[in-house]
Amino acid sequence: MKRSFNSNNFLFVVLIIFFIQIFAIFISATANAHKVSAYAYREGDKILGECYFVDGSACKNSKVEVYNEKGEKLLETLTDEKGKFSFNTKEKGELKIVIPAGEGHRAEYKIEGIKEQIEKKDIKKETLKEERQSKSNQNYVDREEFKKMIDEVMDVKLQGLRREIMDLRKQMDSIGLRDILGGIGYIFGIWGIIMLIKRKRNAS
Amino acid sequence: MHISEGVLSAPVLLAGAVLSLSGLAIGLRKIRNEDIPKVAVLSSAFFVASLIHIPVGPTSAHLVLNGLVGMLLGWSAFPAIFVGLALQAVLFQFGGLTTLGVNTFSMAMPGVLSYYIFRKMIHKGENTAFIGGFLGGALAILLGTIFISIALIETEKSFVGVAATLLTMHLPIAFIEGIITGFVLIYLKKVKPEALG
Repeated sequence: MKRSFNSNNFLFVVLIIFFIQIFAIFISATANAHKVSAYAYREGDKILGECYFVDGSACKNSKVEVYNEKGEKLLETLTDEKGKFSFNTKEKGELKIVIPAGEGHRAEYKIEGIKEQIEKKDIKKETLKEERQSKSNQNYVDREEFKKMIDEVMDVKLQGLRREIMDLRKQMDSIGLRDILGGIGYIFGIWGIIMLIKRKRNAS
Repeated sequence: MHISEGVLSAPVLLAGAVLSLSGLAIGLRKIRNEDIPKVAVLSSAFFVASLIHIPVGPTSAHLVLNGLVGMLLGWSAFPAIFVGLALQAVLFQFGGLTTLGVNTFSMAMPGVLSYYIFRKMIHKGENTAFIGGFLGGALAILLGTIFISIALIETEKSFVGVAATLLTMHLPIAFIEGIITGFVLIYLKKVKPEALG
């Protein structure tokens, strides 16, 4: 019994060293597997999104399916060379974007509905109309132009922010050393428990 | 080679779960207490191997090491790979908890088959042992892609198409894993022959 335990101990050390070696060579370059992630956001009636593998490489020419709240398929589109996709939809409720990347890979992303905001906007519009009627024509044009200008400026500013959010998401999806070491710890723990149970059963 | 959640239909998932459960039962019964450290090490090796990408060919695929696990453990490869896959699903979202059965079976069963086919070669001379390890490691990967393709028949419609893509994707992996398995086996044969069981 003692002898076999020692031999296992030895094997343990040999294998651990072997794997840490391979591990050290590859971990710096690529710490990922083929998990597919998707991210999308709304811009008025337009939905823009991106699909990528965990290592950050784009999910090229992949089918993108869009479903509404009830699970009905609204439309289908394709990702481009950079893994990006966009489409127009009038649907204001929650949208589910599914990307079947093939060979058993699949990503899902949900975009929240914007119903409440729309209602608020409607109320605002009514009050705006009243205001507009009371004000001069000149003032009304200014307001439209002003809105356009704000939109343009915001688009430029938000683009950087959106890219940053995308990068953060990608970072969150990537796997760190901590996850890996933690996982190995869990595995040894699980096998330790199995060993304990088996030993107790043998004893009784 | 992980099938994600939501790809497979319920009957396929159920079939995978039943097959894996029977494999798990046989594996757990066959493990001797003193073998458990070995199983644990190979379990974590399997867990880590999926993170190692080999950027060869058009698409990069990752190592699996199911051949090595199978040839060293026999039926105990089932619980070893199951634990590895479960943690990959929970920590990295590779595969998924519902597809655990299908994934376990399609990874572990080829390893067990490699073990039975090439087991005799391991105990012969060094060269024969290396060839046995190489063939066992490579066969486990190729069989794995075929099992995965079978599981995907329903969703992907053309079995030949999926099998062909997966096979070409994993040919370099099969080659590399064959070499790794061969070297590990002859190394163990030299330093610790009783580990080969």
